[in-house]
Amino acid sequence: MRLVTHNMLQCHVKGCNSNNFPLQLSDVEIEIQETDFNPKFLRNMLSKLEWNALVKTALEINITTLPNVLPNDLDEEFLKMLHRVLLETHIKQGQMICPNCNHTYPIKDGIPNMLLSETET
Amino acid sequence: MVSAFGSTCSSDYQIRIIDSFAYLGFKGDIDLKNPEVTFGVLEDYGLDSVPPLEPFMIYFGRLIASGNRDLIQTFNLKKRKYIGNTSMDAELSLIMANQALAVPGKLIYDPFVGTGSFLFTCAQFGSFTMGSDIDGRQIRGQTDRSVKSNVEQYHLQGKVLDTLVFDICHHPWRDNLWFDAIVTDPPYGVRAGAKTLGRKNPTKRPLTIDGTHEGKDYYPPTKPYEMSEVLSDLLEFAARFLVLGGRLVYWLPTLVDEYSSSDLPEHSSMRLVSNSEQNFGQWSRRLVTMEKFKDNIIGERTNIHNVRGVDNLSSVYKKNDVNSNEAETTNTKEKKKPGHYLFREKYFSSKSDKKQIWTRNKDQNRDDDTDNTT
Repeated sequence: MRLVTHNMLQCHVKGCNSNNFPLQLSDVEIEIQETDFNPKFLRNMLSKLEWNALVKTALEINITTLPNVLPNDLDEEFLKMLHRVLLETHIKQGQMICPNCNHTYPIKDGIPNMLLSETET
Repeated sequence: MVSAFGSTCSSDYQIRIIDSFAYLGFKGDIDLKNPEVTFGVLEDYGLDSVPPLEPFMIYFGRLIASGNRDLIQTFNLKKRKYIGNTSMDAELSLIMANQALAVPGKLIYDPFVGTGSFLFTCAQFGSFTMGSDIDGRQIRGQTDRSVKSNVEQYHLQGKVLDTLVFDICHHPWRDNLWFDAIVTDPPYGVRAGAKTLGRKNPTKRPLTIDGTHEGKDYYPPTKPYEMSEVLSDLLEFAARFLVLGGRLVYWLPTLVDEYSSSDLPEHSSMRLVSNSEQNFGQWSRRLVTMEKFKDNIIGERTNIHNVRGVDNLSSVYKKNDVNSNEAETTNTKEKKKPGHYLFREKYFSSKSDKKQIWTRNKDQNRDDDTDNTT
């Protein structure tokens, strides 16, 4: 799972409606896979992503390259750094924990399992 | 250059055609392998299996661009490393990517991803793709055969972003207009029974001895997911998560005798772009393309039975649908159920249907595209 996807997800346990994002990463195994750079897609996604949540999540896995505030001028150098964080950083194994209800979503072989048990839906 | 489609033509015949243009007096060298300019002659013999002796029409022109028909071979299921019994035919998957307007930089999502057919074809045209499914086993496959191995086979690692396991009825997406298109083949309940989280019999309660889901192989109980409910949820999802102008492309299975144009589910934020039938005899499936043309107001539910407010749809269909029975359904007290309602039950109960095994017979493809936007 890439960090861009992580930023789109929240805890969806029944009744867990606040402070349920971003899901906290834990016990993760990271892999970097290089891919083609597409500035148009990055700009498009940036307008929708929650920057503060992204910075927080990146720090959890020791990525310190992101500034606390999203700069106004998105030059190529910045977008390439962002490309590395959002699209080339994969979480292969680990867990995502809801900051509100502590529900744990496992990630196995890069695939997050977000299925809920019947008491949670 | 002379080549034939759906037929053959001898080299003698080819040379005769080329020679027949001698009067044009072109002075340049002839290079059939790497030509600078290519002229084409199109002879139209119609669609009959026994063609007429003379073509109906002959066209002549200069080649300015080629289509992408070779992609049908690239994505041929016979050559794909990992497929399931619901994997979509290559040509149809490519058509769906076109209907979705898959181009570089877009984000396209399949909420019933299965073995991933649409992730690959949409990514082939440059879009970024994501998929989810309630059944993680389909995504994972076996060790060396999985959605991942297909992504590698087609060299689309940079475009197919992620696959996730969850039930689209209980999805974890944050509210936003994330997707430029949704391309999907919803579960028909014929080959792959549609499931949603829950119990068939709600009075049964889970055993409390080991009532935890933390176990690694926990798989929550599921119940059948009625087709018309799937569609209602799908439209609601699309209206909520698509960008304005974004498209929803999906298959609607239906019984031919019971189908009426008013069966198409509607949503106040979505309008119909096209509706094309692939006929299998007593039943068929329709490739439906819709476009989000209006902001979604939460609370405006899908009109799944669709007995009123068919205005824009009916105008499209009155031209084509001879047996349209909209008029009768509009004012009846008891609402007519759509032709896909309880589709699975009808499909399996019909005796004559036992011989009707699902085939991917392309000869049966029938295209009655009713594009009303172009």
